[in-house]
Amino acid sequence: MRNVCIALAGLICVLPASLNAAEEAQIRAPVDITSLGPQVGELVPDFSLQDQNGQVQTLDSVLGPNGAILLFHRSADW
Amino acid sequence: MELQEQLEELQAQGLSVAAISYDTEAVLTEFSEKRGITFPLLSDDDSQTITDYGILNTLADEALEIVGPSRSDRESADLDPVLEADIKKYVTVNQGIDYHVGTPYPGTFIVDRNGRVMSRFFEEFYRERNTIANIMLKRGTGLTPIAAVEGSTAHLKFTAYPSNPYVMPGSRISLAVQVEPNETMHLYAPGADTMGYKVISLDLRPVPHVRFEPVLYPESEIYHFEPFDELVPVYQSQFTLLQEIVVEATPEAEEALSQLDALTIGGTFDYQACDDAFCFNPVSLPISFTLDLRGVVRELSESSPLREYFRARARENAN
Repeated sequence: MRNVCIALAGLICVLPASLNAAEEAQIRAPVDITSLGPQVGELVPDFSLQDQNGQVQTLDSVLGPNGAILLFHRSADW
Repeated sequence: MELQEQLEELQAQGLSVAAISYDTEAVLTEFSEKRGITFPLLSDDDSQTITDYGILNTLADEALEIVGPSRSDRESADLDPVLEADIKKYVTVNQGIDYHVGTPYPGTFIVDRNGRVMSRFFEEFYRERNTIANIMLKRGTGLTPIAAVEGSTAHLKFTAYPSNPYVMPGSRISLAVQVEPNETMHLYAPGADTMGYKVISLDLRPVPHVRFEPVLYPESEIYHFEPFDELVPVYQSQFTLLQEIVVEATPEAEEALSQLDALTIGGTFDYQACDDAFCFNPVSLPISFTLDLRGVVRELSESSPLREYFRARARENAN
């Protein structure tokens, strides 16, 4: 029942606000982390970041002969 | 630090290692010096790479917008219960929100030499992490076993070992049991229980604050057992079972575990073997491992941009 417009005896059309709100209320879905980021078989994005020695590293500079382990963590600090 | 400890072996396998976080270079320099880290720690301090990788944790931004920075604000707020549950899983159980903005959902990608993802491991709870040794075991390129228990029976030989000799709250490790059935013997795989056979398994005693995941079984083969004219799923050649173990890291678990130096994991390794003519009675072998238990180290570096933040929080709480 979308945007039901209740015409009030020849006057302007009134959209019942509560009906609209109830319809638009979506149930929030929990985060699905398995769907986030590059999936198996996909190429990962390149990057250009400074390491702890001030050297700039890219995906290429980091890759070893058989690949690499890229570990994303929240902080080395806390 | 585990990754540093495994570095030589990983490099021997041709795999390099890099860690990425939103820390400043100063924090990473201090950290690497303090812990002797020789692999690249990459400073993504504007979180651009984290965003490019699609794993920016936006829950923190959302919560911040709705309620403000501190934990007490959040406690009194009326957050959507799904958002609140996700924050507890992926952001923080008991801390303020604001410094979590810009962090990723923590996880590990293993990519090949062209940068293509071979496997990925993301945690369902921010305090839990697959150890690197566990990741390597799960992808089939395990690192050298340590503290292995070996044995043999009339039907098989086995070597059992933990992926890691020490754990911390949050560690997700594996107990690996490598089995070699003797010639002519076969052992029962999942599915064989529906035909009345005992499937090879590990039965571990419960340990407080430790979770045992369902055993990971490799693919089996179908065997035609002629005496009963049955087709049964079995293992006939060497295979490895992985029993994943997670050390809990809720604040309650950390509190309880801080009293211990080690965890003893014990139980039985059970199987049933048959050869091409006879089925033998099921066998139950006792196994036991002791894992050193370390505490989680949480100390801010000298260069930390958060020192003043935490000092201010401490002052607030004191008032």
